[in-house]
Amino acid sequence: MSAAAQPFSRRRRALLGLVLPLAAVVAWELRARAGGAPSYLIAPSVILATTWEMLVSGELWQHTRASLVRALGGYALGGACGIALGLLAGIARPVERFYDPIVSLTYPVPKIVVLPILIAWLGAGDASKIAVVTAAVFYPTFINSLYGAKGVNRLYVWSARNMGASPLRVFAKVILPAALPQVLTGLRIGLALAFIVTVAAEMQNSRGGLGHLIITAEDSLRFDLMYAAIIAIALIGFAGDRALLAARRRVLAGQTIGKEGGQ
Amino acid sequence: MALLEVRELDKIFRRGTRIVQAIDRFSLTVEEGEFVAIVGPSGCGKSTFLHILGGFEPHDAGTMLLNGAPVKGPGPDRGMLFQEFALYPWRSVIGNVAWGLEVQGKAKAERTAIAERYLKLVGLSAFRDAYPAELSGGMKQRVALARVLAFEPRILLMDEPFGALDAQTRELMQEELNAIWQQTRNTVLFVTHDIDEAIYLADRVIVFTARPGRIKDEVRIKLERPRRIDVKKTAAYMGYRNRVWDSLREEVLKAREEFE
Repeated sequence: MSAAAQPFSRRRRALLGLVLPLAAVVAWELRARAGGAPSYLIAPSVILATTWEMLVSGELWQHTRASLVRALGGYALGGACGIALGLLAGIARPVERFYDPIVSLTYPVPKIVVLPILIAWLGAGDASKIAVVTAAVFYPTFINSLYGAKGVNRLYVWSARNMGASPLRVFAKVILPAALPQVLTGLRIGLALAFIVTVAAEMQNSRGGLGHLIITAEDSLRFDLMYAAIIAIALIGFAGDRALLAARRRVLAGQTIGKEGGQ
Repeated sequence: MALLEVRELDKIFRRGTRIVQAIDRFSLTVEEGEFVAIVGPSGCGKSTFLHILGGFEPHDAGTMLLNGAPVKGPGPDRGMLFQEFALYPWRSVIGNVAWGLEVQGKAKAERTAIAERYLKLVGLSAFRDAYPAELSGGMKQRVALARVLAFEPRILLMDEPFGALDAQTRELMQEELNAIWQQTRNTVLFVTHDIDEAIYLADRVIVFTARPGRIKDEVRIKLERPRRIDVKKTAAYMGYRNRVWDSLREEVLKAREEFE
């Protein structure tokens, strides 16, 4: 059944997803107002007021911008390398064999553990954070692009070669679009990782950014600030994910027909 | 000179230490404008033969001449039609049909015009902007047929093109292909395991043996053209059917023994 054909039911389903978070917020607010709650359980209304203040003063935007530069910088670099190498490994067996042991061995290692080494190399500025985000984003984009390119229906390639298409054209016009759904899946996982690793890196070592804001707020027991930063991270991540999904629906017009929500 | 000439073709599959002779000294000539069907039990190497002819698989011995020139690698002089359609899901129907022309470097206006003509031939003009996922199996195969006809190959190689369709759609598609062929008069090499399909469509039916595949029998079908589907009820048709079935039956039993 197509979701677009039933706008009413679709809105209803979206509302259903809001029930639990809204109930939690209301319960939280009531509990905080009743008094005697632990200090980290600040009323949502207070958190919202703080968030608003920081928005108006520009402080929140400053930290957000610092985080975005690192997250998106690393995302772009890691995504570009991951997709390029992944697709190449997917069509050229030797390239796959070359990278396979390195990737399998280093994939399970949390990339944040190399931050101190990267800081030693690149300094404590943005470069070391961008580098660690790059490393984190590389893996899901590489692996998904690799399997996307490897899994292309053999007949797609055959029928293109049958028509006389050159290898370069087969790659650009057949393998690339056929692998695209999985490449985009890799990019989606990578985006979430980019934000996670950025904040983790900022919590370890940085002079600004949302992760830095969280750690300093915790240290000074300003839990309202901490929540404001968390809200900002959640909203950015959500917006980024939605933007990717919308782009995906546009790009994969023919490939998502009959699949609900185009996902 | 025959359009296609295959002489003493051998194909051997090596899997580890096991050696399987898939095709054994197979020879075949196809004249310009002729519709030749190859029937055989499953696993007899008839599809492998088509893949070799398409340039997708190497062979071990023998020669293949198309229009006097040896066949080397895939090329647009041989148009392949696959059982699984192989339409590009990211391209619209018209985009799929025009793709072969795009590869040939034709200008956009020209390829759209040609693609539209072939879509009309297969009766799918109304679906020009649909995506393959929105079409039924029979419609998909009609788009695939339009796509392969559009780049005007010298010979059409059809690998069980209706094998993925249900029985009713299959029969309709046979009728439709027959009508289209009546207009285009392409040279066709058609691989199938369906005797009725082979006799109804072809000028000549070749029966493959069970592995290793070689020619067991060759039957010239002298049913009058254009053929209506009713021809399947005639005595002449039944005669051909019995003859082909008798040849094939032994091979099917042999092939079954091998698998059991």
